[in-house]
Formats: sequence, C-alpha cells, structure tokens
Amino acid sequence: MRASILAGACALGLLAPALALADGETIALFTKNQTNPFFSAERVGAEKAAAMLHAKLLEYVPTKADSIAEQMSQIDDVVVKKPDAVVIVPVDYKAIGPGIAKLNAAGIPAVNITDRSADGRFVAFVGADDYHIARDTAEVLLKAMGGKGSVVILEGVPGSLTSQDRVRGFRDALKDYPGVRVVAIQPANYQRLQGMQVMENLLQSHPDVAGVMAANDAMAIGAVDALSDAGHKALVIGINATREAVDAINSGHMLASGDYNGFLQGCIGTMIAIRVLRHEPIESDVQLPVVVVTKANAAAYEAPVAERNCPAWQDVMRR
Amino acid sequence: MSEGLLTPPAGRLRAVPGVAVILGLLLAGFAVGSRDFLAPANLLNVTDQSAVLMLLALPMTFIIMTEGLDLSAGAVVSLASVVIGTVAVASGHVWPALFAGIAVGLGFGIANGVLVALIGLPPFVATLGTLGIAQGLALVVSGGQSITGVPSALPGLYGGHLLGMPLPALLLVAAWAAFAWALHRTRFGSYVFALGGNREALRLAGVPPAPLLIAVYALGGVMAGIAGLLLTSRLDAGHPTAGIGMEFDAIAAVAVGGTSFERGDGRLGGTALGVFAIGILRNGLNLLAWPSALQVASVGVLVILALLVDVLRTPAP
Amino acid sequence: MSGSSAAAPRRSGQPFAAALHEAGGRLLAVLLLGAALALTSDTFLTAANIVNVLRQTSLLFILASGLTAVVITAGLDLSVGANIALSACLAGLAMKVGGSPLAGVAAALGTGALVGLLNGLMVSLLRIPSFIATYGMLWVLQGIAYAVMGGEAVYGFPRAFRMLGIGRIVGVPVPVLAMLALLALGTLLLRRTVWGHQVYAIGANAEAARLSGVPVRRRLIIVYLASGVAVGFASLVFLARLNSAEADIGDTLTLPAIAAVLIGGTSLFGGVGSLFGSFIGALLLTLVLNGMNLLDVNANWQPLVTGTIVLLAVWLDLRTRRARALRR
Repeated sequence: MRASILAGACALGLLAPALALADGETIALFTKNQTNPFFSAERVGAEKAAAMLHAKLLEYVPTKADSIAEQMSQIDDVVVKKPDAVVIVPVDYKAIGPGIAKLNAAGIPAVNITDRSADGRFVAFVGADDYHIARDTAEVLLKAMGGKGSVVILEGVPGSLTSQDRVRGFRDALKDYPGVRVVAIQPANYQRLQGMQVMENLLQSHPDVAGVMAANDAMAIGAVDALSDAGHKALVIGINATREAVDAINSGHMLASGDYNGFLQGCIGTMIAIRVLRHEPIESDVQLPVVVVTKANAAAYEAPVAERNCPAWQDVMRR
Repeated sequence: MSEGLLTPPAGRLRAVPGVAVILGLLLAGFAVGSRDFLAPANLLNVTDQSAVLMLLALPMTFIIMTEGLDLSAGAVVSLASVVIGTVAVASGHVWPALFAGIAVGLGFGIANGVLVALIGLPPFVATLGTLGIAQGLALVVSGGQSITGVPSALPGLYGGHLLGMPLPALLLVAAWAAFAWALHRTRFGSYVFALGGNREALRLAGVPPAPLLIAVYALGGVMAGIAGLLLTSRLDAGHPTAGIGMEFDAIAAVAVGGTSFERGDGRLGGTALGVFAIGILRNGLNLLAWPSALQVASVGVLVILALLVDVLRTPAP
Repeated sequence: MSGSSAAAPRRSGQPFAAALHEAGGRLLAVLLLGAALALTSDTFLTAANIVNVLRQTSLLFILASGLTAVVITAGLDLSVGANIALSACLAGLAMKVGGSPLAGVAAALGTGALVGLLNGLMVSLLRIPSFIATYGMLWVLQGIAYAVMGGEAVYGFPRAFRMLGIGRIVGVPVPVLAMLALLALGTLLLRRTVWGHQVYAIGANAEAARLSGVPVRRRLIIVYLASGVAVGFASLVFLARLNSAEADIGDTLTLPAIAAVLIGGTSLFGGVGSLFGSFIGALLLTLVLNGMNLLDVNANWQPLVTGTIVLLAVWLDLRTRRARALRR
C-alpha cells in the first residue's frame, strides 16, 4: 500500500504525502476549514493522540472553506477508501445527515466532535457547549462593567451554529443585567478586518459603548484596534482563547476569552475512535468544562498548541 | 469581449484539447497510486459528484459562447436550494418544490438576460449584481439557517437508481446529450453559434438577437434550479450557501475545455472533460490523502497546465 | 456588445477634470446614497465618520488601483485577494524573523511583484487568457498561504511600521493620504504619459496597437507587475492597520475590488476607464456597508442591498452616458 502510494505520487511527478504511516488503525479526521486557528488546534490534538496511540491519521479539509458540498464529496471518497474510523466536525450540523448515513451504511464507526450533528449514529460526541461558554464569558464582562452601560455584539458567519449559540449565550447573560443596554448587533463574519471596520462605524453612532461581545477572538481584536485607534476605552471579550487573544488579555487590551479548547476536542475525539476499535471502554458524551481565560489564569495558555500533549485516558474520565 | 480575458490562443488545434492530456495523466497517476481509484464504485462516485458541476457548466458553455458570463450561477443554486427546502417542508411534497426551484432559477436567468440584452449592462457586472441579490435572498428567506425536515422522496432523488444506474450519473449523461443535441442539431444551436461569432448575420437573417440572448441566460437559470434540486436532495436539506463559488468552477471547466470567448467557438466535449478533470483531481487526491494545502494549490496548477498544454502546441501568431 | 470601440482618452484639458466629467453618473449615485444616509442617520455627516469612511475606502481602492490598469487592457486579475493574503502573511513572518519593518516591506512588495510578474508572463508570453491564468494563480497562492501559515495568525508588529496604517498627518489618516497620492500619480501616469496612452490603446485594440509600434507584450507584463506591486502595498497597509495576518484575509476582498473597478466605469472590453472611477466605486461600496452598520441593518440583508446598489449605479451611469451621447 505504502509503495503504491509513493509510486502514484512519483508518477505525478510530485512529492509523497507528508503524513507519517504507522502500523495501527487508520482514522480519517474531517474539519471545516484551513484558516480558523481553532480547527488547526483540533487537527494538532488529533495528530498527537494518533501518534500517542500508534494510529495513522488522514486529514480532510474542504479546499473551499466551510463548503458543505465538498465535505459531502470527501465523505463519499473516504467511504471508498474505508478507514477504520472517522472523527468529524460537520460543516453544517443539519445538512450533514446523508453523509453520516453513508458512513453508518458502510459500517465505519464515527465520532462527532465540536458541532453536534442533528442526524446519524455516532459512537460518541465530544464538544464544549458554545452557549455556556458565551454566557459565562459575557458574565465576566457584565460584572466588570458594574452592571451598567452600553454594549455591542459582533456576530460570526450568519447561519453558523457556533455564532447562533454564542449570540444566544450573550443575550441570556444580559437578561440578568437590566442596567446594560445592547445598542447594536452586527455581523463581522468572524473576520478581523470586518470586526475592526464594523466597530469603527458603530463608534460613530454609539460613542458611549462600554463593552464589546465578539463571537470570536479575531473580531474581538479587530474591535480592540478600532477602539484604541479612536482613543476610546471599552472592555472587550471574545471566544476561542487564541494565542493572540491571550497576549491581548495579558497586556490588558482584552478582558477575557472563553476557552473552547480545540486541541483537547481533537485529542479526545481521536482517542475515543481508537479505543472503540480496540474494544476498550469509552465515554459516549464528553462535555468539556467551561473555562474563561482572564489575566488571572492566562499563564497556562501561553504554551503553543504544538508543544502541548494529550491527556491520558484516566485524566479524561476524571474531568 | 476583447482578447486576453477568456480567449484561448488563436489557431488552436482541433485535435485533443490540453485538458484531455491532463485528464489522462491524472487517471494514470491515480490508478497507480490508489487501489481504490479504478473500482467501479469509485468511478460511479466521481460521476455522481460531478453531476452538479456539469449541470452548471453546460449552460455556461452557451453563455460564454455569446461573449457573456454568469457569475450568479452559484448563488442561484443556493437560493433554489433554500426555496426547494422551504416549499417542500411547507407543502409536504416534492413536485411543488421542484417547480418552485426551477421557477426561481428561470426568474433569475430571465433577469440576467434582460439586464444584458435589453438594458445593455456588461454581463460581468449584471450577474455580479444578481449574485448579491440571489445570495441575499437565500440568507433572508432561510434566516441564514439550513432547512431540514424535507419529505423523504427528495433525498431519494440523489440516492435513487434507474435501470441500475444512479440518478445523478444518468442526469449528467442525459443533460450532456441534450445540450449537445441542442447545439449541433437544432436551429437554436446554430443561433447560439451566431450570437457569439456573427451577430450581424443573425440580424440580417431577421432573427432578433435580444430574445435569443435572454433565452440562453434563462436556460442557465433553469439548469441552476435543477442543480439546486440535486444538491438539496444530496444534503437532505436546503442550504443558503451550498452553491457558493460554484460559478467559478463551472467557468474554469468551460475554459479548460477549449470554449472560446470569441468566434462563437463552443466545445461541449471539452466542457465535459473539464468537469471530470476537476472532479477526478479532488477525488484522487482525497484517496491519496494529500495534505489539504497541496490539494488547494493543485486545483490552480491543473487549470493553468491544461491551458498551457494547448498554448505550447500552438505556433505563435 | 458596447464599449470596445472607444478610443484612448481625450488629450485635451485637465486630466482630473476629464476624469470627473466621465464619472458623472456614478458620482450622482454616491451623492444620492450620501443624501439618503444623511437623512436617515444623524451621525453619517459628521467629520469623524467621513474620515472613517475614507479610511475604509483606502484599502479597497489601493487593491483596485493596479487592477484598474489591468482591466483597461481588457484583462482581469482574479488573484488579487489571494495575493494580498499571501503577501501580508509573508511580510508578517519576515518582520517577525528579520526583526525589521524593512524586511516586511521587502517581502510584501517582492511577493506582490513576483505574483504580478508571473501573471503578466502567463498572459502575454504564454497567451493564457487572463481570467483563467489568474484564477489558477488564485488557488496556487491560497494553497501556499495555507501551507505557510498552518492555520495560525502572525501578529504584533513594531509601532513605527504600524504608523502606515494607524498614523495621521495633520489629522488625515496615512492610508487616506496614500490613497490620494496613488490616485493623483496614477491618473497622471495613465492620462498624461505615452506609457498610459499605450495602455489604453492595447485595451481598445491590441492588434492595432501592435501594428502602430506599441510593445504590447512588454506593456502587458508591466501592467500586471504594477497590479501585483499595488497589491503588495495594500498588504502592507492591511498589516499596519490590523497588526495581524491570516491565510484567509483575501477571500472577502476579490469581488469587491473587481466590483469597485467595474462600478467605476472601467470596461472589461478594454480601452475605457479611470482610477477616479475606481475610487468612486470603492467609496460607493464602503458607504453601503457604513450605512448598514449605522442603521443597524440585519446581516442577512447585506449582500442583497449591495447587489442592488451595484446594479443601480451601473444602470444610472449607462443612462447618463447615453443621454450625453445623444446630446452631442
């Protein structure tokens, strides 16, 4: 098999794939895109888990970011290739159903991570709850604001489950703080430039903004830049606890970021897939605990993802 | 449109287009590289996957032959998908949804045609505008969410079989045959050739070009509606961004297939090869499990190489 | 199809006045939109918001400036978005590794120029249609950017470098000054030099230009090269403003940049167009988004409103031009 892959790659006059071949099971990992640091952390986590357990990991990412049609085609292709198990983040949790049905029909066990699929049979789900992460992070902001003032909310990509749940979490947290007023809810599509420009525009009509709730860190940092450029002070929160956000929290530019821990999701999802194949006991629903990163606990988040290690299974169970 | 934009080199050989050479190399490489590639199940799989792109690339060939372009195709697929999902859920039946989807496509196709043929907007700008409108409507109608709970007959379309062949593959073959017939065996086809190559002759023959041009764009809209139906059936859900960017894949398939922006030079056979080259590249690289960044770059290399092979075999003017 | 018969620009008169005259219908669209926004939002007409809108316009305009020249030659560059992403990422990494803003400037302009040169070679020497050559280039650049960045962001640059994006000179943001300088120099170059006239001539009729002694291939290579350099410069402005770069920053910039050029009246049939028009186009697109933010319009409506306004602006322009042609 290995020889034939190499021969094929040489026939095309190009280099062989960089993924190392191990002796054990083959796990196919599906993520949404190549650009969000969250998914790259997830892929690193899965790679670490596979290496730790001597399995081989194949990664499938749509060439067009977040393309559900392409993810479906990749599932079709993987069913032909028949890996031993699949770990998947559905691009669209509602529309992935027929793809999962194909995996089920082919008898390939599937682990669902991050976004919970609405359909299909999975051996397990591993995720962190968007809604609670957003609510708890917003809580930190609302307390710091002293329960009064105006906030703006920056939404992610319209229609994405993560954005909907996070904004719902923000809104629910606001219910306990009647003194805080939401002056605008605008989309910035999880993009930094758009986060910055939307914030610049909003500052024109709402110069009294005291707090910003952004559905991810990229938009939050864009907003921070817009605020500091305008000489305006406001507290900003984001979600994902990316390295840049942790730096911003340390330097006082951001207040907090909700930790969604893609690395751990990738680790645990892949560990479960391998354990199922080895007939070892698993947990079928793993909810990672909510952690809000602030100046107080930021130190633990400074290590780059590539230098972190997956936890041992006993520690996963203890969480 | 003048030279340079989409015009393949002059004096191109009538023989095998460059994309056929590339396709041959891909087939050979993947056949050696992956034992699964040549399995009948995988070949059917690639054909099924290519159906949506083929449905878009066929009318795009006609549109490009008229020196036009349709950038709204992908967004209309998304909108049709949302409308099909909404109507299917509301009515509980597939037929009204199917008609609604095709009607939406037809409406946008006619709008594109009117903007280009009657109002005189450049096709690129006109269809860029309708792209925004169709994408916006898809988001507004769906609230940005995918629409699930469609009647079970709908997914049956993509997964269904007729005479032992999967329906998407049959649809692909039937659509290609119908377009080839229309282009080469009907008066409409000869008018389409004339629209791009010799519009003046059309006028002299007493055939007004505007209604014809509108018909060509309308055909594009209808096919986008059918593509939306196929995609909705595949996803078992209406999806507001499912078709995003598909117009560029379709245009690339047409261009590498050798259809020229000038002289009404249409190559439906080349378009089919272009569609399969794109589909097989993605399928094969998935089977070989290439890193995804390399897969992205490969798409670009394929497009450039296919045109380059043509150029290198053509003597400089 | 209309437009391909238009000749090179008038030589007589002031270049800027001529550009202003040509932009009539589009200017009208901008004024109408501005008036509507001024009536519906009390913050729209403040000095701060106008500076804000101009600053947001600047990035789009710089990106669209070189593209305008490409479109005047009857070509198209679909790789601008992927190019700005790769240039910004490499410049960011170069500054991190090299420790000096100069390393970043060299990397951005070098990457942009190299991509532009390759596009130019593909289009002029290899005779690959520009739409396809640059579409292929888009995917190649995107793939390289993904591979280089591995899903991470590069961020945190020296203060001195960031002045290019966030600094102000006598109250005017530096990117706005850069935009105005580019607009003035580019307009002079296109309208007042032999070189500029040759660019228009190539777009109007490449064969005729060749026969009258214009070195068509060399000019085309330079036009694509210039577009690449403009994109490299835009990537520096982007980096300096955003203080960060990721592999996907260009995805949402390609179509708006092309739309700005086309709304600006530059024709894909070649031979017609102006930088001032592209400026108006970029301004119009920015105003639409600014207005929707100020009025707190729901996200899902934004593509629909933008699409409608693009159609209306081009239609209005067509009407005024036809009316003017009839009067002559």
